[in-house]
Amino acid sequence: MLRRFVIHEPRAVEEASALLEAHGPEAAIYAGGTELLVVMKEGLAHFPHLINIKTIPGLDTIEASDGMLRIGALATHRAIERSPVVRDAAPVLAELEAQIANIRVRSTGTIGGNLCFAEPHSDPATLLVAWDATLRLTSRRGTRDIPAESFFTGLLETAREHDEVLTEIRIPLPPARAGTAYERFKTHERPTATVAAVVRLNGGTIEEARLAVGSVGPRPHRLRGVEAMLTGQRPDADLFAAAAERAAADAEVIEERFESVDYKRHLVQVLSARALATATQRAHPRETGGD
Amino acid sequence: MSTLSHRPASTEPMGAAQGNGAQGLVGLSAPRVDARAKATGEAKYAGDLQIPGLAYGKVLRSPYAHARIVRIDASRAQALPGVIAVLTGDDVLDINPYYGHAIKDRPLIAIDRVRFVGEPVAAVAAEDPQTAAEALELIEVEYEELPAAITLDAALAEDAPRLHVTELLKPGLFHGLGELKPQPGNICYHHAFARGDVEEAFAKADIVVEGEYHFPAVYQYSMEPHTTIAQWGDGEITVWSSCQHPFLVRAEIADLFGLPVANVRIVVPYLGGGFGSKSYTKLEPLTVALARKARRPVRIANTVDEAMVTTRRHGMKAWMRTAASADGRLLAREVRCWFDTGAYADNGPRVVATGADAAPGPYRWEAVKVDSWGVYTNTSPAGSYRAFGATHLQWIGEAQVDEIARRCGLDALQIRERNLLRPGEAVRPGGKPLDADLIGDIQKVAAALDWGTPKPANVGRGLSVGLLAAGAHPVSTAFARLEADGTATLYVSSTEVGQGVRTVFSQILATELALPVERVRVQGGDTLVTPYDRSTGASRSTTLAGLAVQRAGQELRAKLLEIAARVFGLPEEAIELRDGAVWHEGESISYPDLIRAHFGMVGGELIGRGEVRPEKGTGSYAEGPVFWEVCIGGAEVEVDPDTGKVTVRKAVSVADVGKAINPRLVKAQEMGGWLQGLGNALFEEMIYDEQTGQILNATLFDYHVPTIADLPASFVSTIVENEDGPGPYGAKGVGEGALAGATAAIVTALYDAGVRVTELPATPERVWRWLRERDSAAAGGAQSARE
Amino acid sequence: MIDRLDTRETESVPATGEAATTIRLETVVNGRPVSAEIEPRTLLLDFLRDRLGLTGAKRSCDVQVCGVCTVLLDGKPVSACSTLAYEAHGREVLTIEGLARFGELHPIQQAFMERTAIQCGFCTPGMILTTKALLDENPRPTREEIAAYLGGNLCRCTGYWMIIEAVEHAARLMAGEEDRS
Repeated sequence: MLRRFVIHEPRAVEEASALLEAHGPEAAIYAGGTELLVVMKEGLAHFPHLINIKTIPGLDTIEASDGMLRIGALATHRAIERSPVVRDAAPVLAELEAQIANIRVRSTGTIGGNLCFAEPHSDPATLLVAWDATLRLTSRRGTRDIPAESFFTGLLETAREHDEVLTEIRIPLPPARAGTAYERFKTHERPTATVAAVVRLNGGTIEEARLAVGSVGPRPHRLRGVEAMLTGQRPDADLFAAAAERAAADAEVIEERFESVDYKRHLVQVLSARALATATQRAHPRETGGD
Repeated sequence: MSTLSHRPASTEPMGAAQGNGAQGLVGLSAPRVDARAKATGEAKYAGDLQIPGLAYGKVLRSPYAHARIVRIDASRAQALPGVIAVLTGDDVLDINPYYGHAIKDRPLIAIDRVRFVGEPVAAVAAEDPQTAAEALELIEVEYEELPAAITLDAALAEDAPRLHVTELLKPGLFHGLGELKPQPGNICYHHAFARGDVEEAFAKADIVVEGEYHFPAVYQYSMEPHTTIAQWGDGEITVWSSCQHPFLVRAEIADLFGLPVANVRIVVPYLGGGFGSKSYTKLEPLTVALARKARRPVRIANTVDEAMVTTRRHGMKAWMRTAASADGRLLAREVRCWFDTGAYADNGPRVVATGADAAPGPYRWEAVKVDSWGVYTNTSPAGSYRAFGATHLQWIGEAQVDEIARRCGLDALQIRERNLLRPGEAVRPGGKPLDADLIGDIQKVAAALDWGTPKPANVGRGLSVGLLAAGAHPVSTAFARLEADGTATLYVSSTEVGQGVRTVFSQILATELALPVERVRVQGGDTLVTPYDRSTGASRSTTLAGLAVQRAGQELRAKLLEIAARVFGLPEEAIELRDGAVWHEGESISYPDLIRAHFGMVGGELIGRGEVRPEKGTGSYAEGPVFWEVCIGGAEVEVDPDTGKVTVRKAVSVADVGKAINPRLVKAQEMGGWLQGLGNALFEEMIYDEQTGQILNATLFDYHVPTIADLPASFVSTIVENEDGPGPYGAKGVGEGALAGATAAIVTALYDAGVRVTELPATPERVWRWLRERDSAAAGGAQSARE
Repeated sequence: MIDRLDTRETESVPATGEAATTIRLETVVNGRPVSAEIEPRTLLLDFLRDRLGLTGAKRSCDVQVCGVCTVLLDGKPVSACSTLAYEAHGREVLTIEGLARFGELHPIQQAFMERTAIQCGFCTPGMILTTKALLDENPRPTREEIAAYLGGNLCRCTGYWMIIEAVEHAARLMAGEEDRS
């Protein structure tokens, strides 16, 4: 049962920021509402002031130029899934978005809301971390860009200051000979484990590898020890098996209600091996359909 | 997503079911009579009804698994504008507030003590739901926590805290289980039987398979959570409720509030599913008590998490051993099982007994010994859920049969062909002999699975067969009016939960009266209007209430013939009923003409009555069942050895229904039951915190039920019609068998794929662990072989 | 995108019993203009069911998993249980009651009836409306596309097979094809 609130309709990000500042902890940003309203209905949180940022024009554009894919924070999952720009520039993201929740959530839920809620059992964050995306935060105090990995600071916690509005997700488009793969494992409504891998090849060796893991711990994060293991090596099954084993050991995994910690580590291992192999395959110049 | 390629189930006759003589509509897949109302949103459920002055009820529930209520202060809630009444235990001390159709162990609202997390402690009636919810927050309750027994093991421990003074509990109005003996400790009910010399049989056996098994608590998830409206009048109670058994609810409400049953009226709108969750009495006593205090009609509508603590399937622990000879003859089986009934008995005793009945499986034994207990724990109460008992035990027994087959070099089909009971053989002494061709059925399953053909790695195929004591107590009545214009109205109290009972009854009555289905209307259950029916459950409606409907139709038919003979001088034996008229030598007289002639002028109507009661004895459980429902299934599964994830590739069902009055609805039951069986096998489990008793997955985020994404790539369903059932046209019930059959078939298919399932659901993590255990045992075996 | 609402704010007090603030909602429901004073917290599902008496959309899981509350907002399926009525401002809502026109059933309703895709009926309005959104967008979906689109609508009765059949049947009916399969 929802308690009472009022809805504010700012016309500009600065106005939204001012409202957030004015109402302090009594205010929350309202975008798609898919996460926020569930939390408020359950009585887990209450905000007497909702700042509806959907009244701010221009926050849902999706465009790619100069090696950068820019997605407005108010773009819905469905819009991203179906965007020709995303399908062309970052098909892995389009596929990922198509798997989120269900058609209703995808139709109203926004990528910005998803990221700001920082529920670890979520898909986009893990991929954005692997892609070294940056998130643009704007307040009356100015604008700053923050790497996706630093944005997620803990369970349901982000680096966003209260008066800041996430306005844009900026994804550097992968260069040639780079491949991306995203793997998820799910037994309930939301994923249990998510892994994203980016592999860039040079000749027969791995020039750069990035591996991000999410959902098993409080926040998505890169596995830099694994990445170091892979860099400069020739990709093969033994290497990926060793890397996946290391990934399982290095991932931050927490005890939760369902799957055990050792099973979740095992899932990280399985998904890492799969993601690395697929990303490498996609990185191969003769392969088409990769990104 | 795999390809969905089930064989179309639309090969049987469909579409407009025209009356074309007696029996003409039986076996036709007539369209559902409620389909239009449901497709347009016009169908009303209990939450959709509006009555003048309706107030909204909300329930304050216990946060503790076991506690003494020291004090309740509802004064602030009472003072909130918009609040009409606040009900607490003190408000029901003028009546005996304990109910329970099996055992009267449950107060309609907590009296001094709470025994599970979620037990109603107070209820508020307010002008709107928001106000009611806000009022709940203003009720102050002081608890003194007591030691709690959350798990079966904790409740069975020597020094376990006791939930009830079991010696003082009174039997309920409808336990139907003979003399209820007081039980020690937290035992709620014990059912046992033994025949033959079990010890001797095990001593001489070449092969013995033994194990301990666990089955989880499961949430029925009827999509409509329980919803009840109650109105307290001058010595009269009216209840609109999502209930499957209106007459049993009526009796309990009358008993609780000290009124004659005739003064209590239960009206049943459409139900958004039941699956047993709406069997017997649920929200009705609390809602009536709140309406009594509010002096206003009140609706209480459960949320999903409230529905979860209202009723669930029993969790169970079992120990089973099975003995066989080296050539694959099954000799003996011994079973001990403990059913977790939660804080109150609900339908626990019947579940305990039905589980015991299902435990031996449909095989020819020299000796059998079964002990089955219901155990009170400090968790939410457990009751009925589709195919209870059979679903609990069949997968265990069938897995042991497969293990025996492996050890003596037979395949799963061969061992069943050798040992399955044949029609007419005793299933249990004194009860109904087997009334189905199980070997024929299982062979159909095997054929649908391409039994014996090569299969890829990590793929397994499984068969399962079992029996479920179905029909409950065989008492049903119906009456039908043939109106002056030749249309018929049927009065029968079976609840339309979605199974299509109104459609099937329309077909039966239309058949008997030779009317088109469209000219028959079925009145929904209303105890003031529709006559007694014991219950809607146990796969009984077509068989028993359907028989009452048929008899009502036959009585009308006899009246039509009698009128035709008396008034028009036609020879009764040479009259045919067709297209709403009596026919003789090419001449016809329509029903309206017959009725007019009978009554002299325009108007009047004919009434036919139908009654079903035990054909011999009292219809008790021991003498039954009404029929043995065949629980049969086949599955082909694929296991991902990396993650343990199981994918069901192929689902097979055989519906041994005697006679399919509406084949399409039979298949609909099979498909729905199968998918629930898949959920029970692979996903579904209510997880209780073993310290606090809180349910850890009380939302649909965390409690996964099968979705379209979980569908097997193919579904093959065969209907077997041997006309060997006790219902109309030789029909017997359907609806539960597919569930138990599917769950067990998935387990035996996993066995075939190398996974030994000892606990359900077979989640990916469990399967992964079992595979690791197997692999390390194999490695250890290889090691010791080398040494 | 969204017209600015007339938000007549009062001083807000975050406690129980604060004064209600109302806003004016101008929307179109099933083709008819609707104007109402609502509290901002009013859920679309409650508005439809309690204020307009349109009870076809149901409440079950309440967390956007089950789909029984599905209605179409400007043609897109949303969970009315978790959507503010406020969101309907300046937009069109279609509920199951608005699908049949002048007593004539929509082909999807016809298909669900003919293919026994209905049992208890509680999921049916949401299933049918989700199907409408699907077929409006993709008139000839494959089985995989149907499964993906309807994957967020639960049904506990049918086992889904007959629903998938009905969706395919509806697609053929809407395309004006003879359908005898």
